[in-house]
Amino acid sequence: MSDKPVRAVKLNVINEPKDSYSGGKSSLCPGCGHDQVSAVIINAAWENGIEPHRIAKMSGIGCSSKTPAYYLSQSHGFNTVHGRMPSVTTGANVANKDLLYLGVSGDGDSASIGIGQFIHAIRRNVDMVYIIENNGVYGLTKGQYSATASKGSKKKKGITNETQPIDMCAMAINLGCSFVARSFSGAKKQLASLIRAAMSHKGFALIDVISPCVTFNNNDESMRSYGYVKENDVELHTLGYIAHFNPVEEVEVPSGHYRDITLHDGSTIRLETISEEHDPSDTMAALTALHEAEVAANHVTGLLYFDGSKPALHEDLEMVDTPLIDLQEDVLRPSKEALDGIIAGFLG
Amino acid sequence: MSNIVNDFCINIATANGTGSQSANLILLQSFFDMGIPSSGKNLFPSNISGLPTWYIIRVSDNGYQAPGNFTHIQVLFNKDTWEEDLAALDPGTVVIWNTDSKMPMTREDVISYPVPMTKIARTLNAKLARMVANVIYVGVIAELLDIDQEVLNEAISKQFGGKAKAIELNAEAARLGREYARENLTKIDPYLVESRESEGDEFFIEGNEALALGSIFGGIQVLAWYPITPSSSVAEGIINWLPELRDKDGKATYAIIQAEDELAAAGMIIGAGWAGARAMTATSGPGISLMQEFIGLSYFAEIPCVFWDVNRVGPSTGLPTRTQQGDLTMLYESSHGDTLHIVLIPGTVEECFEFGWKAFDVSERYQTPVMGFSDLDLGMNRWACKGFEYPDTPMDRGKVLLTKKQMDAIENYGRYRDVDGDGIPYRTLPGSGLDPILYRGTGHDEDGTYSEKPDVYFKLMARLKRKIMNSADNLPVPLFREEEECEVGIVYYGSMENIIQEIDDILEETGRKVSQCRVRALPLHSEVKEFMERHETIIVLEVNRDGQLNGIMRKEMPTELLTRIHSVAYSDGLPPRATQYADMILNVLEEVGV
Repeated sequence: MSDKPVRAVKLNVINEPKDSYSGGKSSLCPGCGHDQVSAVIINAAWENGIEPHRIAKMSGIGCSSKTPAYYLSQSHGFNTVHGRMPSVTTGANVANKDLLYLGVSGDGDSASIGIGQFIHAIRRNVDMVYIIENNGVYGLTKGQYSATASKGSKKKKGITNETQPIDMCAMAINLGCSFVARSFSGAKKQLASLIRAAMSHKGFALIDVISPCVTFNNNDESMRSYGYVKENDVELHTLGYIAHFNPVEEVEVPSGHYRDITLHDGSTIRLETISEEHDPSDTMAALTALHEAEVAANHVTGLLYFDGSKPALHEDLEMVDTPLIDLQEDVLRPSKEALDGIIAGFLG
Repeated sequence: MSNIVNDFCINIATANGTGSQSANLILLQSFFDMGIPSSGKNLFPSNISGLPTWYIIRVSDNGYQAPGNFTHIQVLFNKDTWEEDLAALDPGTVVIWNTDSKMPMTREDVISYPVPMTKIARTLNAKLARMVANVIYVGVIAELLDIDQEVLNEAISKQFGGKAKAIELNAEAARLGREYARENLTKIDPYLVESRESEGDEFFIEGNEALALGSIFGGIQVLAWYPITPSSSVAEGIINWLPELRDKDGKATYAIIQAEDELAAAGMIIGAGWAGARAMTATSGPGISLMQEFIGLSYFAEIPCVFWDVNRVGPSTGLPTRTQQGDLTMLYESSHGDTLHIVLIPGTVEECFEFGWKAFDVSERYQTPVMGFSDLDLGMNRWACKGFEYPDTPMDRGKVLLTKKQMDAIENYGRYRDVDGDGIPYRTLPGSGLDPILYRGTGHDEDGTYSEKPDVYFKLMARLKRKIMNSADNLPVPLFREEEECEVGIVYYGSMENIIQEIDDILEETGRKVSQCRVRALPLHSEVKEFMERHETIIVLEVNRDGQLNGIMRKEMPTELLTRIHSVAYSDGLPPRATQYADMILNVLEEVGV
């Protein structure tokens, strides 16, 4: 026995230390916004007191999709193929509806190659958290524009983007997505609240996280650089997520404000947190906020739209309460009598 | 003129979407109910209404099921193909034609039976005349061939199961057709049918429905699919039968998702297989093309899932409503990089059922995608069926570790470590808390950790190949019909089963005795090699242009046997005809000098 004093390790509501939620070492570029998101995911899962092994980490292909290796080592995960994480998650979800499906994707993965699957997962209201780590650029293939790159954006090297972007949040709202939020990788508190809320949501919860690429898309002409976002940030009210086991916890962030956030390279991003008056059940208000931010070249953040009443896919399917994977042969294989009955019917 | 009994082909030319399919099935069912071996082939267009359709019924005491080489009785109902259909007939063919089509009878060398089909139908029901007119020719044929009205009525009531009005209308239409024939036509053709002793233990079923039922008895949990001819009726069959067979207290013990495309369908079954469920999709060649990337993922990450390909004519959109065996190589080697997949190849409706349930066992046992290979001919035509054998083995869920105890019993566990030396590792399921890993399509070591190390990749690929090749002798065994002479052996597969007997008889008439080996799975069973060793000349028979099984055999069989192999491959979209293939075989044998 060591005679050193035992340092008390802080435990969460299910007596797990935060270490139980950590992952491997990141191989992303130092300072990458995605790593901040990973850290927030670890915190959120720990604070929500979810058993690590009841989480399934899902991703596609790209820098963002590599991150499941960097958090939640005690959870099974699936790094699938480019743009197709939604379908794999859909299949896993109906097979075992009781796991928490945590999907992480990027703007290339979700807004281009995988936009069809993204749309249909929303349409089906698959019960999952869907985080887009959005930087307007393909990082892993070294800096091509993605479909969310703002018109007029300019990369460190290269031409100006003249193609209009897809706003994933606006599209999701139009599709009837039951939880739509936007945040920023550096806004840890807000992001943590949103991820914690998304984890508790039953249905498709989208969080579009502006997560600047420090290597390929971080000069001030880029609308997703730290510098730009810091200058043009208006904060909506930060969501005060109240966990079911901790009803008093609150997050103190002023709402209805602009905030310029200084980034590691000294540049700024201007985020606007949606005001407390914003009614997240109001589709038009959410779309208006997005539209106004777009006109003002800001990023409006916070919970933009929410509808907790929509049935999720696994409920629509009217399945038995037991997850399908726990059903045994006695249920899954009809009896010999059943087969005899079918054949008798065919014989007439 | 002597009578020709139970040995002829009827070709019925109509337009699709006019109700002719019901009429044709009534006729087919009538022959079947009389105990006469008979088969029907629907040659239909990729269209909902108005394009030419032919239905070919073969009646054969020999049990031959392929469309014969000649049409003996032609029904002309479709203006658009009238001249072409008529021109193709041999002298002496019976032609039953609708005079209301206002098309001329330009042949004098055929046996002509003109019938005002539409007019007769109109007297019965003006509104539905176009549809009812089809049943008029059924009545005419019944009278000419001597099919009992009772038999016809029974078939009509089967066809319109339970719908009293439809049954009444159609039975009356058939009766009017018969009456017209009796009063106005003088039979001068030799064709007749006679009832045969039948044990009444057979029924008609399409391969796709048999496959649907087999999948359900295999314990399907997740079906994800995207509609595509000719596979849709597999999914629809499953959807149709599941509630009756698998609902529990009104709740589903399964999930069915109609996906947004074939890519998504593949992703869904892989997700479900990863989670621990028995999942399948049904598609056709174009769908398998779209699924290629995902198939590689499930092969490399070792995730069980079942893909059924009901083959239609490719490439591209091809002839979407015609049959072919053109996807075999694609299924076997799906996806980029080095891959190899287990392919199950049913040749009968009974096997569609059997392989339907077995596919899940094989897939979970080997932790790999399993390809089921059917085709339009087998899947969408009705075939006589003797019933289905209830699965004779319990479900094989493969090497899944469910408890900590099971896990602890394995020394040095790793998701991709070959503990037992059979190439098959153990797996754990998400949610179990047992050795969680991040599954990936990237290179990985035995623990599932990302790796690009040369020796790690090399060993992994070698194990995967070993795993798949090891499955060969545990898959459905080839079936043999061997001659003592052991000179010439035919290797064939799939729906070709339904014409092989006729080919054999034709060859035998020319003095040729040939053995046969029906391959029922890939990789090839070791007995195929033994069959090759016993026969000096091997002919590989298939319905495609390039001889795909021939190519696979040439790649995998020992070099010293390769000179024995000869390919007979032909595809024109039509169901294979025995005479054609027999001629091609004879040509090859002549060339080879056997």
